[in-house]
Amino acid sequence: MSNWELFTWISVIILGPGSILVFILFLRDLPALLRKTNKEIS
Amino acid sequence: MVGVGIWFATRHATFDDFFLAGRSLTTPLLITTLISTYYGIDVLFGDSQLGFTDGVVAWFGYARPTYAFFVIAAFLLAHRLREEDFRSLPDILEKYYGTKTRYVGAVASFIYSLPALSLYGFGMIGEVIMDWPPFLGMLILGGIALVYTLAGGFWAVALTDSIQFVMMCVVLAIATPFALNLIGGFDQMYLFLDPNYFEPMGDLSIWLIIIYASTGLTILVEPTFYQRIFAAKSYKNVRNALIAGIFIWGAYDWIITILAMAAKVGTLQGIIDPSVQPDAALLTIMVTALPAGVLGLFLAGVLSTEMSTLDSYCLVAGGNVAYDVYQPMTKKEVSDKQLINMTRYGIALSWVLGFAMALAFDQMLGLWVFMASILISSVTIPIIFGLYIKRFRKPMAGFLSAGLGLFSTIILNVLVMTKGVFVGEEETYVLQLGQWEIMQEYIMYFTIPISLIGFFIGLLIDKGKYYE
Repeated sequence: MSNWELFTWISVIILGPGSILVFILFLRDLPALLRKTNKEIS
Repeated sequence: MVGVGIWFATRHATFDDFFLAGRSLTTPLLITTLISTYYGIDVLFGDSQLGFTDGVVAWFGYARPTYAFFVIAAFLLAHRLREEDFRSLPDILEKYYGTKTRYVGAVASFIYSLPALSLYGFGMIGEVIMDWPPFLGMLILGGIALVYTLAGGFWAVALTDSIQFVMMCVVLAIATPFALNLIGGFDQMYLFLDPNYFEPMGDLSIWLIIIYASTGLTILVEPTFYQRIFAAKSYKNVRNALIAGIFIWGAYDWIITILAMAAKVGTLQGIIDPSVQPDAALLTIMVTALPAGVLGLFLAGVLSTEMSTLDSYCLVAGGNVAYDVYQPMTKKEVSDKQLINMTRYGIALSWVLGFAMALAFDQMLGLWVFMASILISSVTIPIIFGLYIKRFRKPMAGFLSAGLGLFSTIILNVLVMTKGVFVGEEETYVLQLGQWEIMQEYIMYFTIPISLIGFFIGLLIDKGKYYE
């Protein structure tokens, strides 16, 4: 496997599983963020 | 997405809630909103165009230098910006140079943020997917982004950005094996492509590489980027998001480059129409390689890429109208409710102006160069000097620098676009002056020094005290 190919598959991993991981971390923060908006209007 | 906007419509107690999401963005949300906003279809099709015609230089020469600016932003700029209580880019100009410079900065930021390019992209997408006339795609797809931005403000923008982020990244990851499989893998690339395609700096001239690299300067004065720095929970969140973001931006640019090179191989193998335009190469190989369901997902990803860009810029433009111009001009107390409503009018105004420009201009690349050079030429010098050198914070210096930068950019762009000719091969306007050929992209080589000279003349003229 050439360096170009290796670089490509690493990029695929970052974009695929990597972005899903970031999204899961965001979902973990979401309840606290939404609670904050509810608190602000009350 | 419209639902998210409507849900947030009544949940803004203050202007900070509406415009900066209550300054509470965490690292994951910052990553998603930074990436999805800063990368629109101009990157998707612009990077792929260069990858198709020149190979890996699209990543090494065009994309890579911007990562250096992200590092500077992460460790130097963001830290400095978080030390003070700014809400917008013109806020910085007012603090260091006074209200007049604030207005010039607000005008530059407003022009830069007009969503003409995004709306044009929606017209193109609507035409390709649904066979709609361009104005209908702009109206319907752009209209959806307008509705949720008007209703939900920055909360709606940031939360929809996260969904759009995952869509735009995952579809590229899924599309790569399909595209490589179509052409027979990397071995076929080495076989069909000229060895120059694998030269990191290709055969592009050093001047063009410098121009491409200098486009990264926009990061240092990007209004949507600043807005996210101000909206973060803390500096650490911004720094971590930018460091993580560099890897994702890098991967995204690389995959686009590889897909474009695969498209080139496809044309040489006869799988793809050899007359395909370079900027349509990415879309063409996707249509050829992906099965129907995955293609639908890809097109949804392209839509997401553009929607997340349009909503953010409209919001910034709305803020420029309400917070940066209307509020200081009224000279009386403006309530948060009034400010939010005025921002909504500003959002709608920017959308309408962007729509008119997208219909009126034929050359979107020329329009983009014009808009970007207005921002860079007018605010880069005063912002950077103001942030880091106390003794340079004099009203006349800021005003002359921003004013001359803005004025010279408008004059030179109008001159090149009216007196010059559009050269299809270079995809830009060129003005012939004797033996010199001035490309539209070169204008910043004149306007930034003009802004710099204006700054130092202002420093010499202004004998008053500097701002703390």
